[in-house]
Amino acid sequence: MDTLQAGLSGVLVGGLYALMAAGLSITWGVLRIINLIHFGLILLGAYLTFQIASSWNVDPMLTLVITMPALFVLGALVQWTFDRLAISELSSLLLSFGLLIVIVQGISNLWSADFRQMSAEVNPYATRSVSLGGLDLVFPLPTLLAFGLAVVLIGGAHVALRRTFTGRALRAFAQDRAIAAAFGIDHRRIGVLLAGAAGATAAAAGMLFAMSTALTPATAFEWFGTVFAVVILGGIGHLLGTLVAGLLVGALGAVVTVLISAAAEPFVLFSTIVLVLLLRPQGLFAHGGTR
Amino acid sequence: MRAALSRRRGLWGFPLAFVALAMLSLYRETIGFPVFYLTLLTTILFWTAQSTSWNILSGYSGYFSFGQAAFVGVGAYTTAVLYGRHQVDFYVTLGCSAVLCAVLALFVGGLAFRLRSLRGEIFALLTLAVPFILGALAQLNSAIDGGQGIIVTVPPFPSQLGLFQDYLYLISLAVAVGAVWAAYAIQHSRFGWALSAIRDAEDVAEGLGVATFRYKMLAIMVSGVIGGVSGSIFALQIGFVAVTSVFNLTVPLFVIVMSVLGGRAHWLGPVLGAGLVTLLQDRLTASGLADWRLVVLGGVLAVLVVIAPEGLYVRLRARPWPALAAFAVIVVGLRLANAFGGPLDWILYGALAAVVIAVLPGRLGRKTGTARAERTDRPEPTERKAAVPDRPSPDDDEPAPTGAEVLVECEDVARYFGGVRALDGVTLRIGSGELVGLVGPNGSGKTTMVSLLAGTLRPTRGTIRVAGRDIAGLPPHRVAHAGVARTYQIPRPFGSMTVRDNVAMAIMFGREPRSLPRARAAAERHIGFVGLGHLADARPDALNLHQRQLLEMARALGTNPKVLFLDEALAGLTPAEIDNAVEVVRRIQRGGTSIVIVEHLLRVVNQLATRIVVLDKGTLLADGEPRTVMRDPAVVQAYLGKRAHA
Amino acid sequence: MLEVSGLAAHYGDAQALWDVDLDVRDGEIVTIIGPNGAGKTTLVHTIAGLHPATRGRVIFDGADLTRLPGHRVCSRGVAIVPEGRRVFPHMTVEENLCLGAYRKGARPAHRDVIGRVRELFPRLGERYHQPAGRLSGGEQQMLAIGRALMAQPRLLLLDEPSLGLAPVVVDEVMTAIETINADGVSIMLVEQDVERALSVAARGYLLVEGRIVTSAPPERLRESDDVRQTVLGI
Repeated sequence: MDTLQAGLSGVLVGGLYALMAAGLSITWGVLRIINLIHFGLILLGAYLTFQIASSWNVDPMLTLVITMPALFVLGALVQWTFDRLAISELSSLLLSFGLLIVIVQGISNLWSADFRQMSAEVNPYATRSVSLGGLDLVFPLPTLLAFGLAVVLIGGAHVALRRTFTGRALRAFAQDRAIAAAFGIDHRRIGVLLAGAAGATAAAAGMLFAMSTALTPATAFEWFGTVFAVVILGGIGHLLGTLVAGLLVGALGAVVTVLISAAAEPFVLFSTIVLVLLLRPQGLFAHGGTR
Repeated sequence: MRAALSRRRGLWGFPLAFVALAMLSLYRETIGFPVFYLTLLTTILFWTAQSTSWNILSGYSGYFSFGQAAFVGVGAYTTAVLYGRHQVDFYVTLGCSAVLCAVLALFVGGLAFRLRSLRGEIFALLTLAVPFILGALAQLNSAIDGGQGIIVTVPPFPSQLGLFQDYLYLISLAVAVGAVWAAYAIQHSRFGWALSAIRDAEDVAEGLGVATFRYKMLAIMVSGVIGGVSGSIFALQIGFVAVTSVFNLTVPLFVIVMSVLGGRAHWLGPVLGAGLVTLLQDRLTASGLADWRLVVLGGVLAVLVVIAPEGLYVRLRARPWPALAAFAVIVVGLRLANAFGGPLDWILYGALAAVVIAVLPGRLGRKTGTARAERTDRPEPTERKAAVPDRPSPDDDEPAPTGAEVLVECEDVARYFGGVRALDGVTLRIGSGELVGLVGPNGSGKTTMVSLLAGTLRPTRGTIRVAGRDIAGLPPHRVAHAGVARTYQIPRPFGSMTVRDNVAMAIMFGREPRSLPRARAAAERHIGFVGLGHLADARPDALNLHQRQLLEMARALGTNPKVLFLDEALAGLTPAEIDNAVEVVRRIQRGGTSIVIVEHLLRVVNQLATRIVVLDKGTLLADGEPRTVMRDPAVVQAYLGKRAHA
Repeated sequence: MLEVSGLAAHYGDAQALWDVDLDVRDGEIVTIIGPNGAGKTTLVHTIAGLHPATRGRVIFDGADLTRLPGHRVCSRGVAIVPEGRRVFPHMTVEENLCLGAYRKGARPAHRDVIGRVRELFPRLGERYHQPAGRLSGGEQQMLAIGRALMAQPRLLLLDEPSLGLAPVVVDEVMTAIETINADGVSIMLVEQDVERALSVAARGYLLVEGRIVTSAPPERLRESDDVRQTVLGI
């Protein structure tokens, strides 16, 4: 029973991983930019949620009204700059690594390196949980929200990529840039739009993070391992793959922690990544660079 | 002459530098050198060793690692656990660190470099994960740390050395000088040349006979050993080892910033970078701006990637005197005025001024200017037919020796890509001394054929023998050693090397490997042979397309091949250039090398080749004397469409 | 309708096109024939704005397209069927077609045009929801043509539509090209298969080593030894 509880809780937490990874994965796949600043945006989203909710005493969910547009603009701006500088994939990694450090340290200077958490009055979600009576399972509300938001946002994006002109344009652009351009697709516009959308998902992920735990700037770096595991397992640029991979990684981590020990988790995760890279470099679910 | 000079520097320079710097500590009191400076120098030395360790792997080979903290951490914890906790002799722990880090490095490298088509970004991410995992392990495992941290006490050291700071300084100095010397030695050896070639164009290097996997493994191992030993000493320096202080993302940030700032293709780059960055950090802390250190550093990295990706060393080398003058003027000026802080501040301001002077002139007036000039100089086409001399072909005066001995044998070779049959059942023999034209309409399988013969692709079916040796499944560098060389349609020279060194590279790693000085001497002959003698010291980016194609040929000849594949070597050339290229090809053939020329320009191939092989839709359509083949109805139809021959 | 004059293009220092002059009149099929590597694809890409011209001009309907980027050329009514089809492999047939109608002017009527494309190529209807990467070469070619038609162009640039296809399929594609032309779309057909190209075209240009060497009606080109000599190099 413990294992089942752990696995299911892990799946729910995995929703948050997927949400964090989705923006990174799609900008990497489509725009060929590895944007580590994404981690900075998530962290910024979390701190903004904390700050807005605490000072104005509003529900953390409502802060999204402000943080999503704000981070959309920020994400778009970063992409606009990258595009202007004609940055290659590898330099994007270096450049964004430098800027990520700037953002994280800046946040640390503004909000201090101590743990920050919204108070219980502001954030009623943290302490609530939902129990499945018959099965004796209990799930904290924030993880349920994370799972729900992940499914809705990633699923929605997946549908939008298939059903709208802009969505199809993005996929076409990822598959063959020159020919996409020949059909009227402007790479600047589409890149800025996509990076903006990724920024908005960072806001959602940040909000969920602020809702469920205490914040400290250094967490941004702790996300690296898990998030990149999800990106690579899901297949770079593959949204549904990212969602499933997020849930899997969440479950895997939780189950390994219960069955073996928490120390084994990074090892299992790392060996999974290495195996996937060796056997299926395109990701678990993709058949070649799908999106 | 220059080689001799640099060897002398290798022999004497490093011991001299070591002695000179050691004096600062040994005669510290006599010359009145403050201990505080010694501590700062120790930090600089630590970062020098670390960024040099990073540079040997990532700077030289181009595979960026974000995992330097793994070496620092493993080194520091090895010493902390063995010496700090179990009182094992400190020097023994240094050896243990070296071994452990070497093993770790080989493990990571063995996994990463085995990946087919490993991309640099994937390597970076893999290495990013390593310190994170090791840190978690240390945190959770109480035999290592268990979340408490470990105190490392001062080890016994000879009392003549004075303070512990002196001791620490001296061993840090020894490790740093050793590391820089290793970087220097590597840069000037075959090993370093192989790494540069890997950085510039890895698969080309492999195709010229460089065992790329082995060299990458060697590089990551050396990097690990240096990083680990230096990490051990770091444990003494900090006195208390905790996960957050060693498995820390600021470590890769620092080493990358230092190496990128200093210049990562050169052994001196990280030294410059480590000095400057550490001084900057120290001064920021001293001015009460400690919180902003990382902001400044992250910003510096971002700006550098954009404006000076090649680093300071190259810029300073280009204009050393203005930079030195700026440094001197600022330092002396501030000293005389005795304003703006103390000596360290003055040095920092001077160094910053020198940096600005070095970096400011922007793009160094990129060499594109010359390349463009040369393009306009090209002879204008006068008459198309004049492109190839109307000589009867094959040449009556010098009959090509054909088919004396079978050199390349393809037996029923097929290659499928998924369901697509790029090649299907091709049987082909090429004799020594032949000049074969391999032609066919678009999509006929020519490129696949060349890739199979050069070993970059494996056949789905069939056997390929070169000089009696089965090459199917051999790595490309072994195929090169079997006697196969190729050129690329879009020339891919090693951009960081001169024309001479491009060819010397091929000779050093070719069928009969030679040392660098001998290879350089031998390279002259090949360069002269293709007519690039006057450009031996030029960089490839100053060459025009035709010259780069000739360089491709000279480089391929450098491997001393039995058979040479020329892939579209004439594409995009002017008629006069085509004439010249054709002449060079003939000369190569007369030298006894078999040539397979893959070409679109049929009129040239028909006159040049002794034999034409036509592929169409992955099968062999015709094979024979040019004029006969080109009148074959099947060939005519393949080129012109049906009914054309009727 | 389309007027190209003095056009030159480079890849790095390699010049691929020298001083190309050609024109396509309203409602015409014009073919550009020439051997491999003659610069045919570069010519198409340069006209479509996918490759920069280094000299010369491309005028379409009185407007200068020479400096326009690819995504703006499309909205002027020029669509491309690229060499090697280059359909979007991970998108379905339907999605590929819809993508063709991405430009603003083509979106409102895209459902109608899909209907017409499906009439023209019934086999696309049968494969409507399959990823384009799984189609056969011939079906991909039809899809590439259909995708270009979705942009509702007035000029269609076809780059080697017969490449790698079985003769029966080539016949089918050529018939479709004639049908499209009969509906009022001008066509510039670049082909290696000289005979087929000449059988549908009103005029032909022979492009060799980046230069136009002959321009004539099909009968004349067919008879001339020039073509055979330059293509086969004998």
